[in-house]
Amino acid sequence: MLTALLLALWAYACIWDILGPVFFLGFRPLIAGFGAGIIVGDVQTGMLIGGTLELMALGVYTYGGATIPDYTVGAILGTFFGKAEGFEVGIALAIPAALLLTQVDILNRFLNFIFVHRADTYAEEGNVKGFERMMRIFSHMIWGFSRAIPVFLAVQFGESAVKSVSNFFENNAWFNNGISVTGGILPALGFAMLLKILPVEKYPAFLLLGFVMFAYLSVPLVGIALTAIATALVYQQLKYHGQEA
Amino acid sequence: MEAAGTKLSRSDLVRTFWRFIFFNQMGWNYERMQSVGYCYAMLPILQKTHPDPEDFKEAFITNLNFFNTNPVVGFPLILGAHAALEEAGASLETTEGLKVGLMGPLAGVGDTLVWALYNSIVLSIGSVMALEGKILGPILALVLIFFPYLAVRYWQFFWAYNQGTGLISQLGSGAIMRVTELATIVGLIVVGGFAPSIVKMNTALEWSSDVEVRGEMTTQVVNVQQQLDAILPYMLPVIVVWLAYALLKRGWSPIRVIAVLLVVGFAGGALGILG
Repeated sequence: MLTALLLALWAYACIWDILGPVFFLGFRPLIAGFGAGIIVGDVQTGMLIGGTLELMALGVYTYGGATIPDYTVGAILGTFFGKAEGFEVGIALAIPAALLLTQVDILNRFLNFIFVHRADTYAEEGNVKGFERMMRIFSHMIWGFSRAIPVFLAVQFGESAVKSVSNFFENNAWFNNGISVTGGILPALGFAMLLKILPVEKYPAFLLLGFVMFAYLSVPLVGIALTAIATALVYQQLKYHGQEA
Repeated sequence: MEAAGTKLSRSDLVRTFWRFIFFNQMGWNYERMQSVGYCYAMLPILQKTHPDPEDFKEAFITNLNFFNTNPVVGFPLILGAHAALEEAGASLETTEGLKVGLMGPLAGVGDTLVWALYNSIVLSIGSVMALEGKILGPILALVLIFFPYLAVRYWQFFWAYNQGTGLISQLGSGAIMRVTELATIVGLIVVGGFAPSIVKMNTALEWSSDVEVRGEMTTQVVNVQQQLDAILPYMLPVIVVWLAYALLKRGWSPIRVIAVLLVVGFAGGALGILG
């Protein structure tokens, strides 16, 4: 019961963070899973589940409010069930959980229109206090509870359902293979989304440069990132040579 | 009516800044997106610069109009510039013009710079370390989120306020374009290198055939993955990223692309083609 409440509270905090402070970027699966790992007392599982989901979700953001799978809740539930039943079961549950919660996100972004209509009324009355009270106390509740309640219910009552899932896993190795290969392929979406917002046709050479650094020269990720910054700076120095900065 | 303007104090600005930090996207909705968060942050300043109650009411209503931009790079900049305009006694048409004019371009820059680029680099490095069991991974990510995010928002808000009415010409001078170009180049190199390292796709297929070599029958086994590696390393990850990209370009939603990847990955793994 305590774990269920704490995880629900953590889910609330993760969503609250992206609605304003962005202090810890809790909605990202790496952070959500890490925090859930601390709560359930198994940081390693939290990092494994969170890290795996994070790589699947790299570059996947709600650009302009578009809906994406809820990897936040996926990471929290995946960590909780992964601690009890093992990493494979955790990941295999996290993905459908994330997809299911997508529908909740659409509903909640729609329901939030309540706030803007209340705000209109307050503005017409010139009621600053009422508007401020609504913002301080209520404005995050629909988001927060739409994540906290599913997490609480799944943790509190999902145990037996998850047990039968994990039994199925033990008896069906092919299912395991399917899930683990899927986990390796899903990050392709994030990179595809990044490519879609970057002008690939205009600068194809830079994409190739990054690929060669990794595939043929085996440069570690940090090294690739630093080389990227250096290359971009040199490019602009040459291009804007002689112009005012 | 109040062209003389009202001097804002440092504490007015600080108050708006913290309201922005804690409430910028609260109450986000499909109808007007970040409008209530923006209005809440701006309200203390509006109260000061519109002492007449009817005048204030009009400003309150107007600042609930549709607003949406990137909350980290963009939102604080617009807020700071708006504060400077309020201080100068600008009309509601002017301040709305500023908001509408800047929110679109800055959303594009901010989303690319902060979400796509900075986060992807920090979080993928953090995740790779986390998967190696190093607790430093998530901790490093947290440090690289908390401090830079707070600093960049604080700096933007006060910079834009101090630039005041000169801001628009500053932004028009090509600065935004150059920052975007810089981010684009870094982004493309990083995607080129990170994609094959993070997307995992190999084939387990083997091709065996009986061949006669100098009168003796032997079985030759050809490992398909080795053949592919000889042509181009990481060929399958490159193909699958390109496929996802092509589908997105054709207007598919991310959720539909995920469905395709799930089917390909699950079927491939379950049938033993991929592994």
